[in-house]
Amino acid sequence: MLDDLLHIFYPRTYTLGNGKQVKEKFNPAPYIVIAVVLISLYFMNICKVDWHKFSKNIANFFTMLDQMFPPRWEFWRELKKPMIDTMAMSLLGTAFGSILALPTSFYVSNNFHFNKTYLGLHRGIIAIFRTIPTLVIAKLLSTTLGVGTLAGTLAITIFTYTIAVKMMYEQIETIDMKPYEAMESTGANRMQSIIYSAFPQVRGYFWSTVLYCFETNVRSAAILGYVGAGGIGVQINTQLNWRKYENAGMIVLVLVITVVVIESISREIRKKLVQG
Amino acid sequence: MSEKITVKTQAKKFPPVWPRFAIELLGVILIYLLTKETVDFTGLNQRGLAIAKQTIIGLMHPSMKLILDPSSVGLGHMLLETLAIAFLGTVIGIILALPLAFLSSRNVAPVWMTYIFLTIISLIRAFPAFIYGIMFVKVVGTGPFAGVLTMAISSVGMLSKLLIEAIEDMDPGIVEALDAAGCSPFEKIRYGIIPQLSSNIVSIVIYRLDINVKNASILGVVGAGGIGASLIHAIGQGNWPNTSAMLLGLTILVLILEYFSTKLRKKLSVGEY
Repeated sequence: MLDDLLHIFYPRTYTLGNGKQVKEKFNPAPYIVIAVVLISLYFMNICKVDWHKFSKNIANFFTMLDQMFPPRWEFWRELKKPMIDTMAMSLLGTAFGSILALPTSFYVSNNFHFNKTYLGLHRGIIAIFRTIPTLVIAKLLSTTLGVGTLAGTLAITIFTYTIAVKMMYEQIETIDMKPYEAMESTGANRMQSIIYSAFPQVRGYFWSTVLYCFETNVRSAAILGYVGAGGIGVQINTQLNWRKYENAGMIVLVLVITVVVIESISREIRKKLVQG
Repeated sequence: MSEKITVKTQAKKFPPVWPRFAIELLGVILIYLLTKETVDFTGLNQRGLAIAKQTIIGLMHPSMKLILDPSSVGLGHMLLETLAIAFLGTVIGIILALPLAFLSSRNVAPVWMTYIFLTIISLIRAFPAFIYGIMFVKVVGTGPFAGVLTMAISSVGMLSKLLIEAIEDMDPGIVEALDAAGCSPFEKIRYGIIPQLSSNIVSIVIYRLDINVKNASILGVVGAGGIGASLIHAIGQGNWPNTSAMLLGLTILVLILEYFSTKLRKKLSVGEY
């Protein structure tokens, strides 16, 4: 039994009938598990994880949920304006971002032989901007351009642009180049060939990307209010700080319903778009 | 095919163009109306542009003092805390997600039970992460621990959804063969199920860890630890050298993680260990 346990860590050696020795394949899994446990313990120390406090106070979490539901329905009247702002911000940001992204994504795909240096540079900048969270971009813009929906819209535009260009050029690089070559050989210039032979191949994917971005943006637009970029985000913090849980419950309900409805509609449409 | 084919007859077969034009026109009008209604461009004047120029110049000069500071307010510690929140959140998330996923896969649990657990998973998923953040800050106080809990519960939804797909894709023949050979349930799990799932699980966890590092960096806004709080604070103060240093650190951390995660997942999906 003990021998079996020890053999988890190093491979067994079997001696066959003809005296040949066969070694088992080395399995790194136990070492990975030990490493993960050790790193977790170290990180728990950094994060000041305190399960005692957690078990003592977790009841508060459910009390809070209990107070949130049923929500105060009349609060809907005050929520209308920020909710419309949130939706408009994500809609406009998605529209501007994807309109900008469509031509650029063809320009940075490497199968049309545009300038290679520019291509690498543009992709690098996009990759860097993609790592910065939308919230931080919104905060930067709201401090420079002033508090309001403009900052939120621009932040969402930037985010949509970076993600849409990446998704699009990865798809464009897999298209069939033969129609494009055929059009070029008949004397069409590069732009005409792209519009009439390359774009139709990715049109469905483009709309699916736009819908996906819209889905993500509605989720992220909801928190932008936190940094003064307009929308519903600022309301929830205020209501929770004033301990008006039934109002907060109404906000949560509105947010959840909006997100779920938009997600399910867009998922259905995207399924249709991708399957053709 | 008695009819003669001419350009005119062929052109008539194409669908009319005007519906598409109408939809596009409607879209443009909608965008214009929304812009007029909600977005005010008062910020985009001369003053705003001057401030923007200053900001960009400031962002070009990251503060070396913050980067090299080894204490608990330095950049290194903040990034480590962000990474720690994401890592622990993912570990706790997968521990919670594994039983949920097994109980809601059709080939493991009875169908009526899968409906119950699928409902639980979608209820957990429906709440936005930052609402969990605010609630956990109220429960355990401000600090990285609230961030860990938020990350854990907001990863459960996606993790279990991906796990269910992996579990439902399993080949039942292997377990049946082990059964026929007279293996015990423990041996069936060890030699029939774990080898089929392990690379999938690792790939899913790495993917989620990648996302969680990005999410952990904004949790600070609600007071749940990580780099977010100091970053937003520095931007609010207009402390551009510090902002720039933090953005630089965050970008490098995320890019390195993204690189390794993509590489490892490609290796795992190709099949070599």
